Amino acid sequence: MEEKLVTLAHGAGGKQTAELIDSIFKSNFKSKNLTADDAAILNPPIGKMAFTTDGFIVSPFKFPGGNIGKLSICGTVNDLSCMGAKPMYLTVAFVIEEGFPLKDLEEIAQAMAKTADEAGVEIVAGDTKVAGKGQVDGVFITTTGVGQIMEGVDLSGAKAKDGDAIITTGDIGRHGCAILLSRDSYGLTADVKSDCAPLWNTIKSVLDTTKDIHVIRDATRGGVGTVLYEIAEQSQVGIHLDYAAIPVDDAVKGVCGMLGLDPLYLACEGTMVIFAPNDKAQAIVKTLNKGKYSKKAAIIGHVTNDMIAHVVVKTEIGTETLLPAPSGELLPRIC
Amino acid sequence: MLSKDIEKAKSIIMNYDGPPIKIMEVCGTHTHEIFKLGIRNILPNNINLISGPGCPVCVTPTEFIDEAIYLALEKNITICTFGDLIRVPGTSSSLGDARSKGANIQMVYSPLDSVEYAINHPEQQVVFLSVGFETTTPASCIAVRNAKNIELKNFSILGANKTMYQAYLALKDAADAYIYPGHVCTMTGMSELYKLRDEENVSGAVTGFSASEILSSLAYIISETQKNKPFVANLYPRVVTEEGLIKAKTLVENTMESCDSIWRGLGIIEKSGMKLKKEYIDYDARAKYDIPKIVGKPNKGCKCGEVLRGDIKPFECPLFSKGCTPEHPIGACMVSNEGACSAYYKYGENLWKKN
Ligand code: SF4
Repeated sequence: MEEKLVTLAHGAGGKQTAELIDSIFKSNFKSKNLTADDAAILNPPIGKMAFTTDGFIVSPFKFPGGNIGKLSICGTVNDLSCMGAKPMYLTVAFVIEEGFPLKDLEEIAQAMAKTADEAGVEIVAGDTKVAGKGQVDGVFITTTGVGQIMEGVDLSGAKAKDGDAIITTGDIGRHGCAILLSRDSYGLTADVKSDCAPLWNTIKSVLDTTKDIHVIRDATRGGVGTVLYEIAEQSQVGIHLDYAAIPVDDAVKGVCGMLGLDPLYLACEGTMVIFAPNDKAQAIVKTLNKGKYSKKAAIIGHVTNDMIAHVVVKTEIGTETLLPAPSGELLPRIC
Repeated sequence: MLSKDIEKAKSIIMNYDGPPIKIMEVCGTHTHEIFKLGIRNILPNNINLISGPGCPVCVTPTEFIDEAIYLALEKNITICTFGDLIRVPGTSSSLGDARSKGANIQMVYSPLDSVEYAINHPEQQVVFLSVGFETTTPASCIAVRNAKNIELKNFSILGANKTMYQAYLALKDAADAYIYPGHVCTMTGMSELYKLRDEENVSGAVTGFSASEILSSLAYIISETQKNKPFVANLYPRVVTEEGLIKAKTLVENTMESCDSIWRGLGIIEKSGMKLKKEYIDYDARAKYDIPKIVGKPNKGCKCGEVLRGDIKPFECPLFSKGCTPEHPIGACMVSNEGACSAYYKYGENLWKKN
């Protein structure tokens, strides 16, 4: 049987566009608010709302542990979650390259529906464009999301304080490592799956434990190291990490050792960094360790008033050294 | 829990209270690891650890970059090179700048990749920038021999290969003892180092790259130095043998011969370089393309020379972090990961000192 492909006609707005939308998108995104009208009519959130958008161009579009569809939902759901907002509505916009296989698009849409469902978020509007061959690579997706901020929660990267404990919700660097391996330009194989996951339920469980939390940040592009430097700068504090306490998957460690990479600078797509007062940290970790995506959560360091705007690590020999600041040489197109 | 070896070595280092000792880590990989492990932050004031000339990118002189740019822009030749060299400043620009002017600059991981590239692009003339010490020279020799075997006409190398022994001699008064580079010694074996000890009173220890290897060698050097007698020890015996890698040495001897070589910061050192023998002259880019004599002019403010000789610490250079950063390097030592300036910058050595 011949493989069905996306054609320019699918993007022309006529009958074929309608067919594509019905057969692939509508059949998967089963929201009552997703109609044929030009805009979705919705009830606004109560209290404060969070609003965010993100574009996804990951290459390859499919990788161990997920695909660009799942990633595009997780990314926006997690951005909202980081602000203590329950994700409510999402919009999705596709730019598809002419010739992209329909069955791959179907697979992407299925992953999106499943992930949105898990995160409890509704896809309420969408858009599809087809670009000529070579004008985009495969498929690019943009998602925009609205969430309702939980009452009593006040989070910001500028709120880290002297004495805070720093927690990661899981082991670090798996997404970056999985993408790197699936490009196979290094000739390496290892069993590493992306950590890509929607984390609203994880974050909710933490906020249900205590609202006394200062910062939650998604450690995506640039990884945990980059995020920590951002927060150290934003909050004008020093960050001290205990290298031995940072959870890293053995396979990721192995790959990093071989390529001379630091897992602290590999992207995560299902791991967050949390800053909270030290006396709350144990309870938070205990809650996290019971969660589906946060079994490996751990306290990895603390905040001080010295070494302002820097990240210091305790090394394997018990000395302290600076974590070299992010160099900007990140892997391209990981999300 | 730290291992006993590490605890013991740490305590010898931290408790040292004898006369000042100057130790030079010759190899750029050691420089980097020492920072990564935070070893500098536990050194007492009377132990001065200085970085030496063992980073191939750092000692490659300005004129070498100028020659490569000349080939790329004036002769339209494809340059294959290790990535770090692309950002090293020449007299007026870098290979990266040449690339944005349309030069074809290809990054490769090994000289053999560049032979492969030449085979796949018969319409281009390809030159590999052959830099490095004893560790990388054999691969360049293999590349040239392979090219000759298949009579490849569009491949040659621009050589700047160097040997460490003459650099040790040139630097023999720079420090009280040396941490010798484990990788280079794997090739050369121990005999040169015995010679240095016996004829020149130069002391040192051959060292691996793990935390315990580096700490143990520092502790060893500290203890031995106090005996006031030249010493040398192989503390990396699981890899470094007495005689070295004979096959690789023979390969190099049969393909290249020694020549004088310019080192950034150290100037011309007699017989410290390697160039292709007559029978391989067709693969020597300098002979093949009649490159004019170029006198390179490094940036006047850059103190790479003093840094490489161990005369100053990188942060004593007025440009360090003011104008010269890994993102915008002015000298070669700020480019490579193994360069002393880049390591001091990334690990914030000046920052710790102020605290
Ligand atoms: S800091 Fe820059 S300019 Fe100064 S010596 Fe180092 S490389 Fe040269």
